[in-house]
Amino acid sequence: MLEVEGLTKRYGSREAVKGISFRVNEGEIVGFLGPNGAGKSTTLRMITGFLAPSAGRVRVADIDAVADPFEARRHFGYMPEGVPLHEEMRVHEHLRFRAELRGIRGRAKLDAAVERSLQQASVEDARDRIIGQLSKGYRQRVGLADALLTDPPLLILDEPTSGLDPNQIRAVRSLIRGFAGKKTVFLSTHILPEVEATCGRVVILDAGRVVGEGDPRELRGGGGAVVVRIVGRGEPSAYEAAFGSLGEVTAAIEAAPSGPSLVVAKVRTRGEDASERVFEAAVTAGLKLRELSVEATSLEDVFAALTTEEPTNEEAA
Amino acid sequence: MRAAWTIAKREVRSYFSSPVAYVVLLAWIYVSGLSFYTMVYWFAGNPSTGGSDNPLTLFFGGTVLFWLPLLVFAPVMTMRLFAQERTSGTLEALLTSPVGEVAIVTGKLMAAMVFWITLWVPSLLYVWIVSRYGDVDLGTVASSYLGILGIGFFYMSWGMLMSALAPSQIVAAILTFLVLGLLFTAGIMQFVVYDDFREVLGYVSVWSHMSDFAKGIVDSRWLSFYATMTALAFYLTVRAVSWRRVRG
Repeated sequence: MLEVEGLTKRYGSREAVKGISFRVNEGEIVGFLGPNGAGKSTTLRMITGFLAPSAGRVRVADIDAVADPFEARRHFGYMPEGVPLHEEMRVHEHLRFRAELRGIRGRAKLDAAVERSLQQASVEDARDRIIGQLSKGYRQRVGLADALLTDPPLLILDEPTSGLDPNQIRAVRSLIRGFAGKKTVFLSTHILPEVEATCGRVVILDAGRVVGEGDPRELRGGGGAVVVRIVGRGEPSAYEAAFGSLGEVTAAIEAAPSGPSLVVAKVRTRGEDASERVFEAAVTAGLKLRELSVEATSLEDVFAALTTEEPTNEEAA
Repeated sequence: MRAAWTIAKREVRSYFSSPVAYVVLLAWIYVSGLSFYTMVYWFAGNPSTGGSDNPLTLFFGGTVLFWLPLLVFAPVMTMRLFAQERTSGTLEALLTSPVGEVAIVTGKLMAAMVFWITLWVPSLLYVWIVSRYGDVDLGTVASSYLGILGIGFFYMSWGMLMSALAPSQIVAAILTFLVLGLLFTAGIMQFVVYDDFREVLGYVSVWSHMSDFAKGIVDSRWLSFYATMTALAFYLTVRAVSWRRVRG
């Protein structure tokens, strides 16, 4: 549905996007993850034709989006960063204008497109309100309705939940998840839980380069590494000695708010039976355990590991 | 060109949902009404002036009271066309729709012209007033409005170009004022310069163009001047909008 190949954007001598390639298959919901300033918006703007790429190719629904931008634009709905809308218009007026611009003709068809997109983005109750007076959550959904007007097979959403409160975030995410299987969605975000909550696949961008790609759950697995957390009484050195043979161990006394202080140890090891082996080692060493749990590697760890190689904050989006 | 029409409709609506439009309209009605009143008063007190002159010929471009407000209002009328959409980000939505730059620029110029024409509707009242108490040559009135229309295209298109180039509305307004003001000043220089250069200055002088139109003289040189200036600004605006895609 979307293919990007060697896409590059240069501003003078500075390369904001450095020859990235990836593809989004039909029906997928793919997250485009990266810290602020990684080049996500620039990439989306090149895909949608707002910016001309310095080099590289973009194909939308098998149409060359650089050579034939008009035809390509008929196949996607785009919600730019910050959801720009005409503040002075009413929601249905804005949507009607956008529908006309996007080539829908005739009163009946326009009305039908507006009503359907209002419903798909669940903002029917705001249809007669002035956009400038809407809350951010509503604006975001009006932006989504705008992207949905032509019922396009591909949705390109730039930071669809930025600036929303937790309830609004949940609502927008569940809307996006609802498109699974029906539409292809490519959404950018700098928030990890967003990817885990909504996306089937993630492309990680850092400093203009794709640094990782895959299933968020697989990336989280980090190649089978598991961290087992043990809480018990005794000396940290005893824990280090007991688990040293299993993998990397950190152990420290953690002051408890009440009662005796406990040792919290973390063992980084591999394998499905990691927790069982840690338990056996603890029994063998005669440690008095209170807790034993498996900590999942968070996507945050993966993200940090992938994106901390060079400073990224200098480059603006 | 369906898209141009769609854009023009939205732009017109947006013009008249902002207080700027009403402030400009009211200010123009006030200033032009005052100058018209003064002219009528003056002609009434000097019946011997006679000849081809009447309050209307003087009103249409005959005094600085006509030009000064227009040189201020034209930038205010056009400053938002592109600059506002760029600041608010809606330009990104517009430029990622299946609509070409030519259609976008056409739509915006059409909308600015609707506003310009609206500015002149109240002046029909002055024509009516003069016609009630004296003779009004309708041909002269028509050629006056033809001149107004030409100057409208010229001013609105250059204001639009500045709005496409400038980073903000206020900078667009200042640039438009500078460009139109410079051309206007160069035009009236023809009254003080006495050499070959004078003819060139006369060519850009909206003041003397308008005094021809107000007398019923339709000079195709002036009309082609407006057409050329409008076409140039139109072309440059299209280039400016597409250039931003490349430069970012």
